[in-house]
Amino acid sequence: MDAHEYVVRMENISKIYPNGIAANREVNFSVREGEIHALIGENGAGKSTLMKILFGMEQPTAGKIYLNDQRITLSSPLQAISLGIGMVHQHFMLVPSLTVAENIVLGMAPTTKSGLFIDYKEAVRLTREYSEMYNLFVEPDARVADIAVGMKQKVEILKALVRGARVLILDEPTAVLTTQETAELFQELKNLKDQGFTIIFISHKLKEIKELTDRITIMRAGRSVGVYETASITEQEISRLMVGRDVVLKMDKPEAVPGERVLCVEDLHYVNEWGKKMLDGVSFSVRQGEIVGIAGVEGNGQRELVDILFGLKLPDSGDAMVDGQSLVGLPQARIRTLGVSYVPEDRMTFGIAQTANIEENVISDRYRHKRFNRGPLFNMKSLHDESDRLIMDYAVLCKSRSQEVGMLSGGNIQKVVVAREFSSDPILIIADQPTRGIDVGATELIRNKLVELSRAGMAVLLVSADLNEVMELSDNLIVMYNGQIAGYFDDGQWDDLMMGEYMLGLKRQSDDEIRRACHA
Amino acid sequence: MRDKRMVLFGFVRGAAAIVLALAVGAIFIFLSSDEPFTALRYLLIGPFVSFHGGVTAFNTQNFYQILAAMIPTIFTGLAVCVMFSANQFNLAAEGCVLVGGFVGSLIGIYANIATGWHPVICVLVSAVVCGLIMLIPSVLKVTLGASEMVTSLMLNFVLLYIVLHFLNYHFADRSKGATMTFPFLDSAKIPSLVSGTSKLTWGFVVALIISFLVWVFMYRTRWGYAIRMIGINESFSLYSGMNVGRMIILSSVIGGILSGMGGSLEVLGRYNTFVWRELPGYGWTGVTIAILAKNNPGAVPLAAFFLAYLNKGCQLMSTHSDVPSEMIDIIQAAIFLFFAAEQFLSGFRQKLVVKTTREELVRAESLDAIEGE
Ligand SMILES: Nc1ncnc2c1ncn2[C@@H]1O[C@H](COP(=O)(O)OP(=O)(O)OP(=O)(O)O)[C@@H](O)[C@H]1O
Ligand SMILES: [Mg+2]
Repeated sequence: MDAHEYVVRMENISKIYPNGIAANREVNFSVREGEIHALIGENGAGKSTLMKILFGMEQPTAGKIYLNDQRITLSSPLQAISLGIGMVHQHFMLVPSLTVAENIVLGMAPTTKSGLFIDYKEAVRLTREYSEMYNLFVEPDARVADIAVGMKQKVEILKALVRGARVLILDEPTAVLTTQETAELFQELKNLKDQGFTIIFISHKLKEIKELTDRITIMRAGRSVGVYETASITEQEISRLMVGRDVVLKMDKPEAVPGERVLCVEDLHYVNEWGKKMLDGVSFSVRQGEIVGIAGVEGNGQRELVDILFGLKLPDSGDAMVDGQSLVGLPQARIRTLGVSYVPEDRMTFGIAQTANIEENVISDRYRHKRFNRGPLFNMKSLHDESDRLIMDYAVLCKSRSQEVGMLSGGNIQKVVVAREFSSDPILIIADQPTRGIDVGATELIRNKLVELSRAGMAVLLVSADLNEVMELSDNLIVMYNGQIAGYFDDGQWDDLMMGEYMLGLKRQSDDEIRRACHA
Repeated sequence: MRDKRMVLFGFVRGAAAIVLALAVGAIFIFLSSDEPFTALRYLLIGPFVSFHGGVTAFNTQNFYQILAAMIPTIFTGLAVCVMFSANQFNLAAEGCVLVGGFVGSLIGIYANIATGWHPVICVLVSAVVCGLIMLIPSVLKVTLGASEMVTSLMLNFVLLYIVLHFLNYHFADRSKGATMTFPFLDSAKIPSLVSGTSKLTWGFVVALIISFLVWVFMYRTRWGYAIRMIGINESFSLYSGMNVGRMIILSSVIGGILSGMGGSLEVLGRYNTFVWRELPGYGWTGVTIAILAKNNPGAVPLAAFFLAYLNKGCQLMSTHSDVPSEMIDIIQAAIFLFFAAEQFLSGFRQKLVVKTTREELVRAESLDAIEGE
C-alpha cells in the first residue's frame, strides 16, 4: 500500500503531560482519504490526547505528523483549522449564552462594513447555507443553552465545516445521543463521507463502530495495538484487543423483590418558559430493590422530571415524595439528607470541580460526616482511605488521589462521579446516563454495581439515552412521550421495536395500565 | 524522586524569576539614571545593607522595618485569600482595616483594661466589628444577588466617611491643631518585639501564627474545604449538598475579622494616636499578595515579605538616587509580572518531566521483563 493513500499520518507519536503521565507512547496512526476511521480503546487509553495532537491543541513530545504526505507541525488549533482539520470535542465547547449562528461564526465572524460589529444576518445566512448543504438541520436563532444535546452536536459539526474542515475528528459524538439521534447522525456522517470528507470517529459502542466505520485503530495503555478492516473483525475480537479479556454486557441479574415505595411521583405538571407542556400528569413510584428505567426520545419530559426531583425546577402542580416527605422546593442539601443521590447528566458542570483533586471530588457529599472529622479538623487518614477505596473499587485510572480531576480522561471523570454517588449509602439513586463515555469493561462494572445496590434494597431510577442500557438494566420500564407516560412495562418482555412504537407516540397504553406504575 | 526534582525546580524557578525581573528593572534604571549603580545598589541590597563611610554592614533596623511593614499586609493578604477562594471578589478588606484601626484605637483610649489584656481586647473587638461589617456585602450577595465587588467598593467609602465623621465630631482631641484622637493608653500598645525604632511588634508573631491557622482552616477543615470547592465550581457544590450561601457569608466574615485584626494591630503598634484620614491602602496590597500567593495562606508571609522588600528598596532608591519616582512604579510592576507569570520556564519544566517519566517507564518495563521470565 502506498503511503500517499493516506490523508493523515501520525508517526511514532509520544505525549508526556506536564504531570508526568505518558498518554501516548510511539503511536502510529493513519487515515485514508474519504474513509470513516474508528479509534477505540479503554478510558484513558490516550484517544482524546492523540486527536488533540492532530488538532494542534496539545504538542507531541515526539513524533511526526503528515498531511497529504507533507510534514506538518501544529502549534495551535487555528493552524489545524487552516489546514482543513476540524474537531468536535468530547465535552462541548459552545458558548451557552450565544445563539447557534453566533457560535458557528465565533472567532471568524463576518463583520459589518465598518468592521466593528458582527453581521448577524450574514451569520444566520451562512449557518442556513451550510446547514442545508450538508443536511444538518439547526435553528440559527436559538440560544445554545436552550437546545437539545443532539442539536449541539450538529452545531459543533457545522462549526468545523464552516471553517473548511476536510478531515473531521469526532470525539465520542454519540455518548450523549439517543438512538434516534444517533441514527440521524450516522446518516449525516455517511453523507459527508460520500461528499469526500474524511472522518475520525471515537466511540465506546462497538455496535456503532461496526455499523459506521471502514477501518479501526485500537489503542491500549497509550499504544496502538492494531489496525483492522472493520468488516474483518468481530465485536468480541475488538473488545478482547481493547480490554484484554472478553466482556459480557449481557446482564444476568437476580429477580427483583420490590419492597416499600421509596419515591412517589404524583401528578406532576410542568410548563416551560415558552409555554410548552413538558410534564402533563406524570405519576409513578420506585420501590426498594428495583430498578425503574425511563426511556423516551429526548425532549419528552425526562429532563424536566429529573430536574424537579433534584430541586432544580419547581413543578406547576403535583408532588414528588421520598419516604413520604415532599422534595418539592427543597434545597439540594436537604434532598441529599433524605438519602437521595444523583448522577447528573452534565458531569462537567454539576458532577465535578475540575481543578480540585480526586479526593476533594469524591468526598463532596460526605465531608461533614463524623467519620471524616476529628473535632474541627479533618481526619486526613480516613479521607485518604475513603478516596483510595473508591478509586480502587471503581477502577479510576489515575496517578494518585491528589491528581486533578480535570486531567483525567473523560470516562475516568465519569467514574469519579459515579463512585461518589453510588457509595453514599442512599435510599434512592437517580442515575442520569451513568455509563456515558465509559468503556465496555468499566460499563460492565458500573452496571453490576447498580444491580448489586438495587438488590441490596436501594431504589434506582435510571434515565438513559442508551435504549439498550435501559432495556437491559431495568426491572420495570416507563416510556415517556409528550410529557406523559405512554407505557409501563413490568414483565421484562420488551424489545427495540415495541419501545420505538411507544417512544414515537404510535401506541399508548390505557390509563388503567399506566396507573400500575404507581403501585398504589 | 519526581517530587524532589520538582521541589528543586520550584526554587530554581523562583530564583530565576527574581534575577530576570531585576534584570528588566535594571534596564529601566540604566535608561533613566545617571548613577545607575548607586540606584541598583539601593534597590537590591539597600534594604539589608547600610553603606556608611565605605563600611557595609547588615542593617538590622531596615530589616526590622521590613518585617514591621508586613504586619498589616499579611492580614489583608490572608483576608483576600479566604474571600477569593470562595470566588468572592470582595474588596472591603480596605475599609475594614480602617474601621479595625479606629475601633481598636477607641478601646485603646477609653477603656481601662489591665495591661496585657488591653491590646487583646482591642484586637478582638475590632475583629468582631469588621466581621459584622462584612455581613453587608455578603448577605446582599447571597440573598439579592448584588455583586459583591460593587457593594464592597462602595462600602469602603461609606466606612471611610463614617470613621471621619466620628473622628471629627465625637472623638477629636480639640487641643491639637490637626484632627486626631487622644493618645492611646500605654496599656493598649502592642509591645515591641525588638529594641529600636522599627515598630516591629508582637503583631508580627501573631501574623505568622494566624497565617498558619488560616492555612489549617482552608486545607484541613470542612469549612475551608467547602469554601474552596464553592470557589472552583458553585453548581457542583450546590449539587453535592453544600450550603453555598452560608459558606460565602462565612468566608467574607472571616475576611472581615482578619482585616480588622490587621488594622488594629497596625495602629496600636505603630502610632500613639489614631491618625488615618484616608483609606490606608493595605486592602489593595492584600489583593496583590493573594494573587502572588495563589490564594494559598501558607505562601502569604513570603509574598508579603517580597512586596515589603521591594517597596523598601524602591523607597531607598528614590531617596538616594536620581531615578524618578514614576520609573519606580514601572520597575515594581515589571518585577511583579515576572514573578506572577505562570508559564515562566515551563519549557524547561516539561523537559524535566519528560526525562523523569521516560526513566520511570524504562524501569517499569525492565521490571516487567524480569517478572515475565
Ligand atoms: N490535560 C491533561 N493533563 C494531564 N494528564 C492528562 C490530561 N489529559 C489527559 N491526561 C491523561 O492522559 C491519559 C489519556 O487520556 P485521554 O483523555 O487521551 O484518554 P481517552 O482515551 O480519551 O479516554 P476516555 O475514553 O475516557 O475519554 C489519561 O491517563 C489522563 O489522565
Ligand atoms: Mg477521551
